[in-house]
Order: sequence, then structure tokens, then C-alpha cells
Amino acid sequence: MKWSHAAVIVGALAIAGLSACGGERLPPKALSDARDEFHRAKTGIAIQLDPTDVHEADLALQRANQAWSDDPDDPNTIDLAIVAQRKAQIAEAEAQTMKSQRDAEEAKRQLQDLMSTQLQSARGQLTQTKAQLNQTQSALEAEQKAAAEQRQRLEDLEKKLKDARDTIAKIAAVKDDERGMVITLQGEVLFPTGKWDLKAGAMAKLDQIAQALIGKEQPMVVFGHTDNTGTHDMNMDLSQKRANAVRDYLVSRGIPQDLISAQGKGPDVPISDNGSIEGRASNRRVEIVVQPKKS
Amino acid sequence: MRIAKVATTAVILVACGASLPPPSDEWAAAQADVGRAQSGGAPSVPDAKLHLQLAQEDLQKSKDLMDKDNKRAASLVALARVEAQLALSLAKAASAQDSAQQAQQDLQKAKGN
Repeated sequence: MKWSHAAVIVGALAIAGLSACGGERLPPKALSDARDEFHRAKTGIAIQLDPTDVHEADLALQRANQAWSDDPDDPNTIDLAIVAQRKAQIAEAEAQTMKSQRDAEEAKRQLQDLMSTQLQSARGQLTQTKAQLNQTQSALEAEQKAAAEQRQRLEDLEKKLKDARDTIAKIAAVKDDERGMVITLQGEVLFPTGKWDLKAGAMAKLDQIAQALIGKEQPMVVFGHTDNTGTHDMNMDLSQKRANAVRDYLVSRGIPQDLISAQGKGPDVPISDNGSIEGRASNRRVEIVVQPKKS
Repeated sequence: MRIAKVATTAVILVACGASLPPPSDEWAAAQADVGRAQSGGAPSVPDAKLHLQLAQEDLQKSKDLMDKDNKRAASLVALARVEAQLALSLAKAASAQDSAQQAQQDLQKAKGN
């Protein structure tokens, strides 16, 4: 009797407990939130990148669902729902981390590619610039060498000219005027009176002059001059013939023909007074004018 | 009558789980999770900071219930653990996102040159 009474009470309590645990109610917000969150994890990047944590969230959600159907009023049911929601959130955050890491790696890889491309291009440009610099340097060196050679040639030429002048000055009067270097030879030294064939001694002097002037590449003019004795025409003719004779001889000694000309001036360009014997003697002369080289 | 009282108590006890031992080991593990979230940068990320605070609150509540309601205490400890773990995950995600953005900016900057 007592036992059966007790059994009835226990049974009634059990039924009361069950009805307290079950029931067709809407799930609490925490649980529906957890289900939503899990759905997001299950359909988003989490399932691809972090399936392990999604699985954990799945198990937690199953526990929460079970707890709710077992006892909706147990406060721990809410805790389990929140745990399930957090696990889904963890799966999503972990997946997000992985995605960010992959993005960062990809960006870094692209940056590296870009930098190596840029580096290669810069190297190419540097090589090109170096080659250009070398070319410019070579050109500059060649130019400097050419300039130095030119300078040397001019110096040599000047020295030769000075040497020639020194040599000539020993045998003839040498002066400079606006026409250039003027070598003056007395008529008596070169020709017999009234003639235009060179004396033997004259040839020796002209040999030395030719020697000194060969290779100077400077144009020359041979001028013949007389005093004022005799007719003007006769003097013009004589001076021209004497100038020709000197020119021809110099050509025969190696002065280039195209560089030398001859011109008779007759009595027209005296340098002394024709009134005296000495004056007339100095007026009878041949001048070799070495003109400055045209540059 | 006395038997009925005992039985009632038994049913309630089974339902509430008061006979469970205190969740000391889990509590220590939750505390370690909180520590990891703190050193993992959670306090400086707003979302993560919120969950870190929730974890600390749950941990405190759980401590207060220890030996009074061990089942509830264990439930709160489990909650504290996931809150702390989520705080760390969110902090890591924010940091990874910053790094990815930085790398993307570096790339765009290099492309601009």
C-alpha cells in the first residue's frame, strides 16, 4: 500500500518533470541564433577552409537541440545554445584568418614578382646606360686624342717654320710684314747684270731656302724688283723673268708648283732711294713671300 | 510520506545535477583560454574585447556557483571557454586582415611606381 502510493507519487512527479522538459514551443532566441550562425558557417568559406571547427559547431548545436528538447527550461540549455553559436563563430573567424593569410601571401607573391620584374628592367637599363657611357667615353677619348694630335702637328709645324726661318736668316734677310714672311735676296747675288739665269752661288742659297721651306704647305709668291735704270717695260720684263727663274728653280728643288707663283714688279716697289748707287743696288732684289697657311 | 519526500528530492537532484563534482579542471582551462585571448591581442579588437569580457564574467559567475550548483557552474565554464576562444579567433582574424590589407597596399604602391 505504502509502496504503491509512493510509486504513484514518483510516477506523477516523473510525468510532471517530462511535461516540464518537453512541449511544442518555439526555440529560445539563443538557439535560433545558433542555428542561423551554424547555417552561415555551413554555407560560407568556413566549411571550405575550416571544416574541423564547423564539425565541432555541428556537434555543439546537436547537443543544444537535444538539451532543449529534453528540458527547455533548464538554464544550461541556453548556455549550450550560446556555446554552439560561439563555435560556429569561431569556425568563421578561423576561416577568415586563413583567407586573409592566403590573400596576404598572394599579394606578397605578386609584389615579389613585380619587384623582380622591375629589378630586371632596371638592370637592363643600367647595362644599356653603361654601354652608352662607354661609347661616349670612347668617343671623347678619340676626340681628345685627335685634338692632341692636331695640337702636336701645329706645334711641329710652328717649330719647323721657326727652324726654317732660322736657317734662311743665315743666308738672306728675313722680315715679317702684312704679306707674311719676306725673304729678300739681292739682285747681284742671284743674277749677272741684265740677265735672268741664276748664278751658281745663287743656286746654293736657293737650295738651302727650298730645303727649309719644303713640307710647310704654305703658299709663296716670288716677286722680282728692279731699280729705275732703263725703260719701265724692260724692267718689268726683266723682273718677271728673274721672278720666274727663282720660282722655277725652287720648284725644281721640290717646292710644289701649285703653291708658288711669280710676279714681276719692275721698278714700282722701291725700298731705297734710286738716286744713289747703294739705293739702286738694294732696290734690285727678289722677294720670296711665304704667306701664312690658310687654316 | 517520508519515502515520498526522499523520492521527490531524488528526482530533483537527478534533474539538477547537484551531485556533480565542482568543474575545477575545466575552470583552470577556461582561465588559460582567457589568458591566451588577452595575450593574443583580444583587448585591442572591439569584437574580441566584448567576448573576452563575457568570458571573464562567465568565469566569475561560475566561481561563485562552485559547490552550490556544480552543474550550472560547469555549463558557465564551458561557455567561458568558447567566449575566450572566440575572442582569440577574432583577434587573430583582425590581425590577419590587417596584414592582408597592408600587403595589398604595398602591392598597389609598387604597381603605381
